[in-house]
Amino acid sequence: MRVVANLKICQGHARCEDLCPEVFSTDAVEGKVVIEHPEFPPELEEKVRLAVRNCPEGALRIAKGDKA
Amino acid sequence: MNLVFQPPAPDHVPDELVVDFDFFKVPEDVTDPVQIWHRLARDGAPPIFYTPRNGGHWVFLRYADIVEGYRNHEIFSTRGAQIPPIEPFPVLQPNGVDPPEHDVFRKILAPMFTPLAVRRMTEGLHRRAETLISGFAGQGECDFIADYAAKFPTATFLELFGLPEERLPEFLRIANVFFRSTDPDIRAANLLEIYAVLEDLFREKERNPQNDIATTVLQARDVDGNPFPWQDIINCGFLLFVAGLDTVTNTMAYVWRYLATTPDARQKFRDRLDDPAAFLLAIEELMRINAVSNIYRRVTHDCEYKGVRLRKNDRVILPNTVANRDPSIFPDPQTIDLDRKVNNHVTFGVGPHRCIGSHLAKREIMISLQEWLRQIPDFELAQDQEALSVFGGSVMGFESLKLRW
Repeated sequence: MRVVANLKICQGHARCEDLCPEVFSTDAVEGKVVIEHPEFPPELEEKVRLAVRNCPEGALRIAKGDKA
Repeated sequence: MNLVFQPPAPDHVPDELVVDFDFFKVPEDVTDPVQIWHRLARDGAPPIFYTPRNGGHWVFLRYADIVEGYRNHEIFSTRGAQIPPIEPFPVLQPNGVDPPEHDVFRKILAPMFTPLAVRRMTEGLHRRAETLISGFAGQGECDFIADYAAKFPTATFLELFGLPEERLPEFLRIANVFFRSTDPDIRAANLLEIYAVLEDLFREKERNPQNDIATTVLQARDVDGNPFPWQDIINCGFLLFVAGLDTVTNTMAYVWRYLATTPDARQKFRDRLDDPAAFLLAIEELMRINAVSNIYRRVTHDCEYKGVRLRKNDRVILPNTVANRDPSIFPDPQTIDLDRKVNNHVTFGVGPHRCIGSHLAKREIMISLQEWLRQIPDFELAQDQEALSVFGGSVMGFESLKLRW
């Protein structure tokens, strides 16, 4: 599983970082999402999906297969 | 009989979209000012309607339209959007300008308000909260607004701006006049006083640069390496003053009022004192349900939006509390569910103007509640809910909130 972010849409709400800090952090300049582990392990799937659904801008998505 | 002069709606507004609604007025039987907004849809107001009050403005009542109002700056501008219209009004940087101009000051401020930067403030915020609360915890009662909710964010502002704590009473006074006075002469004098204070502050930082927000804004350079116009710098200071004080104060007032009357919720938060992630999740739900800000936009050109004719310079209000309880987005929207899993509230706005202080605001509220519950685990209202003095307007809230324990 792989999670990807659209940085043009991200506005730095940081809900993803709050909900799943194992995978998401934010940068020190604009506070936008940094995906530390795009290919997350299956045990984090629920948390990552929750983070994706809680993005107020819809900037995150889970990519099918290996392609981003 | 209503003898108040009521100007007619302009020609482009059809009669069926006109509703008589004054968002500054809270009727005496309403104990919670957000309810004036929730009554609208219940009473059959169209999802996009026009009220002739306060200079005349549109109101959006659907989550989708409120979000569009935030994101679509081609139609909905922040520049000169005050309701009722105030002209001339200072162009606040970066809040009062649209992209791409907006990006310039936003980029200067952004590094100081990232989650990373706010995490570095955590220890200082805990200390401040602990000290303030221990000052009255032994008394068994307080006025939550005067004794805590107004002081805490104002003291935080002083520290961020590198101002000494001794100036807290002065800043509390000028902030209180700014946010509450309705007298035009007092307001005008107050605005001059705030600008004089900011002028002095930035002049002092020019002579004596420090590691603070004021100095950072002052030392910022444009793409050609030149300093920014003095007026923009002052207006950026003014924005930070107006944006981060009253909003936090009144959100806290709402949260404490709810906890004072809801023992189960106090228990839930106490149970989470050692689990910051769970504590924060519950805070997020309180952010959704206690959205105190109503945001203004101005229409940039004659156009049609969702079948409604808008004219250039029409004003629009985006009431966050309404978006946050839209039943098409939030299941069981009126219920406060501290374990709500999906919570895309718009309390801090969305799009390019997303509240830059949102992480600081949330951290201030979270830390305040943690310190409070450690020192004052149980508390209640020391006055009838019906007797609370409330106000509407761009930021809704309470004049005072007496608590006892």
